[in-house]
Amino acid sequence: MRDALDKNPGFDPRSGGTSAPSTTGAPPATSRTIEGEFSCVGKPLPRPDVAAKATGAAVYGADLVLPGMLTGRILTSPYAHAKILSIDTSKAKALAGVAAVITHEDVPKLRFTRSVMAEGLPPFAYEGENQDQFILSDKARYVGDWIAAVAAVDTYTAEKALDLIEVEYEQLPAVFDPEEALKPGSPIIHEGWPGNVAGVIDHPFSRGDLDKALADSDYVVEFRGRNSRQKQAHLEPDVAVARWEPDGRLTVWSPNQNAHLAKKTMAQRILGINEGDIRWITTTVGGGFGARLSFGVEPVAVLLAKITGKPVKVFVTREEDFSGWSSRTEQRQTIRMGVTKGGTITAIEQRILSDAGAYFSHSGTISAVNMQATLGVMRSPVVSGKATIVYTNNPTSSGMRGYGNPEGSFVLQQAIDMAAEKCGMDPLEFRLKNAKGTGEPSMWEPVTLTSCALETCIRLGAERIGWKEKWHGWGASTGAAGPSPGGRYRRGVGMSIMTHASGAGGFLLEHSSAIIKLDEDGSVQLAVSPCEMGQGILGALSQIAAEGMGLRYEDVHVITGDTDVTLFDIGSHASRSTYAIGNAVLDAARQVRATVLERAAGILETSPRALDIRGGSVFVKADPTQTVAVAEIARGAIYDYGLEGRHITATGKHQALTHCPNFQAGFSEIEVDTETGVIKVLKYVVAHDIGRAINPLTVESCLQGGAYQGLGYALTEDLIIDEHTGKVLTDSFATYKMLSALDMPEVEVILVEEPDPSGPYGAKGVGETGITNVAPSIANALYDACRIRIHSLPMTPEKVLAALAAAPQSPDYNGG
Amino acid sequence: MTKQIAAFTVNGAEREAIIEPHMLLIDVLRDQFALTGTKYACGTGDCGACTVLLDGKPSLSCLILAVTAIGKSILTIEGLAEGPELHPLQQSFVDEGAIQCGFCTPGMILSAKSLLDENPDPSLDEIRHALAGNLCRCTGYVAIFNAVQAAAAAMKTDSTGTEARP
Amino acid sequence: MHRVLLPFEFAEPTTVRGALALIDGEKTRALAGGVDLVLRMRLRQVLPEKVVSLQKLPHLDYVRADDLGLAFGALASLRQLEASRAVREGWPLLAEAIGSIGSVQVKVQGTGVGNLCVGTPASDVAPALYALGARVRLTGLADEREIPIEEFFLDVGKTAVRPHELVTEIVVPRPPAGSGAAFMKLAKTSEDIAKVNVAVMVSVGDGAYADVSIALGSVAPTPLRAVEAESLLRMAPVGEAAGVGNPAGAAAANRVSPALEATGNPVSPGLEAAAQAAAQAAVPISDVRSTASYRKEMVRVLVKDALARATARALAGRSDVQAPGGVS
Repeated sequence: MRDALDKNPGFDPRSGGTSAPSTTGAPPATSRTIEGEFSCVGKPLPRPDVAAKATGAAVYGADLVLPGMLTGRILTSPYAHAKILSIDTSKAKALAGVAAVITHEDVPKLRFTRSVMAEGLPPFAYEGENQDQFILSDKARYVGDWIAAVAAVDTYTAEKALDLIEVEYEQLPAVFDPEEALKPGSPIIHEGWPGNVAGVIDHPFSRGDLDKALADSDYVVEFRGRNSRQKQAHLEPDVAVARWEPDGRLTVWSPNQNAHLAKKTMAQRILGINEGDIRWITTTVGGGFGARLSFGVEPVAVLLAKITGKPVKVFVTREEDFSGWSSRTEQRQTIRMGVTKGGTITAIEQRILSDAGAYFSHSGTISAVNMQATLGVMRSPVVSGKATIVYTNNPTSSGMRGYGNPEGSFVLQQAIDMAAEKCGMDPLEFRLKNAKGTGEPSMWEPVTLTSCALETCIRLGAERIGWKEKWHGWGASTGAAGPSPGGRYRRGVGMSIMTHASGAGGFLLEHSSAIIKLDEDGSVQLAVSPCEMGQGILGALSQIAAEGMGLRYEDVHVITGDTDVTLFDIGSHASRSTYAIGNAVLDAARQVRATVLERAAGILETSPRALDIRGGSVFVKADPTQTVAVAEIARGAIYDYGLEGRHITATGKHQALTHCPNFQAGFSEIEVDTETGVIKVLKYVVAHDIGRAINPLTVESCLQGGAYQGLGYALTEDLIIDEHTGKVLTDSFATYKMLSALDMPEVEVILVEEPDPSGPYGAKGVGETGITNVAPSIANALYDACRIRIHSLPMTPEKVLAALAAAPQSPDYNGG
Repeated sequence: MTKQIAAFTVNGAEREAIIEPHMLLIDVLRDQFALTGTKYACGTGDCGACTVLLDGKPSLSCLILAVTAIGKSILTIEGLAEGPELHPLQQSFVDEGAIQCGFCTPGMILSAKSLLDENPDPSLDEIRHALAGNLCRCTGYVAIFNAVQAAAAAMKTDSTGTEARP
Repeated sequence: MHRVLLPFEFAEPTTVRGALALIDGEKTRALAGGVDLVLRMRLRQVLPEKVVSLQKLPHLDYVRADDLGLAFGALASLRQLEASRAVREGWPLLAEAIGSIGSVQVKVQGTGVGNLCVGTPASDVAPALYALGARVRLTGLADEREIPIEEFFLDVGKTAVRPHELVTEIVVPRPPAGSGAAFMKLAKTSEDIAKVNVAVMVSVGDGAYADVSIALGSVAPTPLRAVEAESLLRMAPVGEAAGVGNPAGAAAANRVSPALEATGNPVSPGLEAAAQAAAQAAVPISDVRSTASYRKEMVRVLVKDALARATARALAGRSDVQAPGGVS
């Protein structure tokens, strides 16, 4: 369902936290648009990429076959920490059909970091990105570390060759717990980083005297929590194809989320060649969720292709993916919060211990973003944030949907409820009182919020979940539902709020470009470089393009996924593509529109201002019977035998130091079986501040999918690592459990459309956000139901039972 | 090594492949018949991305030896549409937003087809059960349930020739 | 870690005798549905020199029921069993247990017999067959034997199948009149292997339990019967357990949600004691699915719930089961 601003015309988030209709504070111009005025924007149009996916015609990396192509496979370490004494590849090389066997001796001696997204950091920040690995390791640092690779005529031969490689290891003491890793005498994982401290990050917006503020507060609450290493678990296992062309250039096909930055990393950090020597093609992507902000197997494919002189496809199995280089980063966090009796936050402190695993990857940036989002959603005069990043012999972590926000929110949102309880306030009112709004600093403080529909999200979400009727209240106080009746099955409701960026402006390189060319039949080619990984970005951008030019949706054809054709872009992450690339597309579309109107004005003998375009036809606003088709203008421009001939094109751009934060409230209703500890989610409601839903079907599906991953994060998904060997024990979908079709509860999505003046048609981001509020709202619902708090994810029945057994039963609970 | 020329009925056509006993059905379909719509995702039978209909029944082609499928009729996602027209299930998956990354889609659609073949008018609960062996990491399934229901309705209209009223 | 299988010889005999001559259970392995074998061969956990497909053996995919009992052959798929009207009406416990396996594909490909022959204590089918008193018919080159299913499971991954022997049939007696049964399972998701599963069957007459069988899965190296718990209940009066005299109790007998079913139905001390005794019989381990202590405790809860449900069903006179569901 959608709730457009039109239904709530007087609402002004600046009017002091009430929902009373107000006539002051004119909303941005775009919000005046009447529903139906748009011809493409706001419509649930089918996406351009999906028909090929429905028929099996879409070409993913594994489907790509090139003439003469070899198969590449990687040998991984069985040990978590081991010196490599020797590698004997002679038997493998002697096997018929084997084209190459490589080890650390064959790789470029340039250290790099897997995070290609990091290339978008400003130089001073990039210095903190530890360059700590080679394509193949000279020392095993986790179970699954890459030791050698093979290229052969087919998979059968390649895997036979892997079995013939003889590696002599000397096992070293290993450390798997980040707190242990920091202790003196712990095994050192990287020579250059003593004490296993991979980095320390101070929150750039820390301010005030924390100790004093906490001492002066009426109440101080503290909550410690720890998130799991959720796997992105994109269904498409990682894959890459590389080919060195006869002219010396390199072509890479892969599902990377940042093609242009991947190209730069490959050229400059790994191969020592020019960016122009590489053409990066993004295949159809079978899910990303942040895993593909890093290099997967691309460097191995590139190297094997170089050595063999043949195209090489490298892929991994699901087991290898699970034991590999990407999962959500495990962060152990403490939040301390000071509040006044009246329920005003006086100070928030966040401390993070971040387990990078064996290599640095995204563990720095993710810690920084965690602090921005976690410390950035509530107003507080005193703020303090610090993250310590530690190397261990666990598999390398990386970015996963939400990128720090689901990690921090799990802890912060429980601390918020605890603070509200101290004050005897409804947690909903507490959040309304303390959450930031329009005109206040965003999560990146130099940026001021130009829109914020959080209050509407909270109120609509609360209504749908039945907050007033269902929330039990704190002990003797408040809560219309009264205390829980106890008994075996207990119900509870909980809520959570968040803010997330729509792009990275301010803290990361943030610009996008789009090219539009208008062909002679009035159709256009739109060349853009997001990563369509399923989120529906190609459809949204086509809708923006069509709307901006006055063309029909089906007139827009997208060209994407080829760095030789598209202009520089930082790729799809940070929930940025609709906002940032959408703005670039709209800019290009408006330029094309202006050119068309100018030529049309000549034909219709009027001024461009007197004209409008709809459905591919230019018409005189005062007399819509006077028309000329865009196709006629386009054709006339190309087949102009005079001096005005041209192919109408435009390049649009978006560049910003802002990131237009979006907001969201999530509400869970659960039922807890206090005998089994099983939490059953009865309903989840998410209300998202989308600004404008360019394609409401896509946005809803995105939030449904986010909720799905959030439910798994909250309840079942658990990457379990053997604490003695460091081996991932849940290395298949048989043991790493994501919810099946039978497990999905009812999820209600509410889209709140209060357009932001800076977004394309007012749109803000949504991509990552759906995951964030689920776990914290369930955690708070668990407290509402049973008066227990769980400190680590996932919240398994085992943990619930243990917490129930440990909890002193409050007097208003009579069940056992 | 016992290589043999094996015949299968693939998407209604007789096809031959050179197979050995250790070859998996998915690899014969993908490598020899270039039917790459069938996806390899887990290799353990837990995700259903490799689902094909073997003699009409949803089967995991990553856990089937090709040699045991000789002579059988195999339907892959490529065999579902007749000509350029999408099958009603494919059309409803497109229309209902049931496809995001698309990697689960072929298997999901084939499981749904098997359901509708047996039960043209399934309840939501029956749809959930029929798709329990197919993981989707993107959509949260809701749009997929909607798509299967929409396809069932569309197919009923097709077969009765009467207009379906919402 | 591997994506493809190593080469092996393949045979596809068309007589049981032909198959028996080949299969030694080590170097030569039998393949029925292949769900387990093919996976384990990819993971290099088993590396047979020869794989013998049973799929061409004639007349082994039957599911037959008569007054005496149910019999199904080595090639009867889980899907066939689950969908069989005879099974649903006469042996609803078996249908309920198979229904707890989520994946349709696994049930289409996997056979009931294959599920047992894997030898996993986490089998969902096994506890139901334990509770139903099933027998396993094994055919060897020289002779044929039939053993109670309790004697079939020996240890994790080990069964009573000898070299050159095949399980050709499972025989299940018809549950006595006035009986009721229930299968319950806890797992991380609805499409997962059990942390704990429980199958119980009770028969009730003259206000007392005439007979009780309680089988547990995933809590010992093999499925097991909770013999002590059974004897505690045998001949004990049927108390308030399933809501006798409470109309909600009978109505609850076939609700899917244990939540709704148990609400308002206080469990009798007798059931609680039996449940505790069952928990005592469990010797679970900790692994990625759960912990030993949780499993032990859940035996108590599930046995209690399953007994209550089975008793309610017995009293309600229900003898069939709704369409299979995956709800634990």
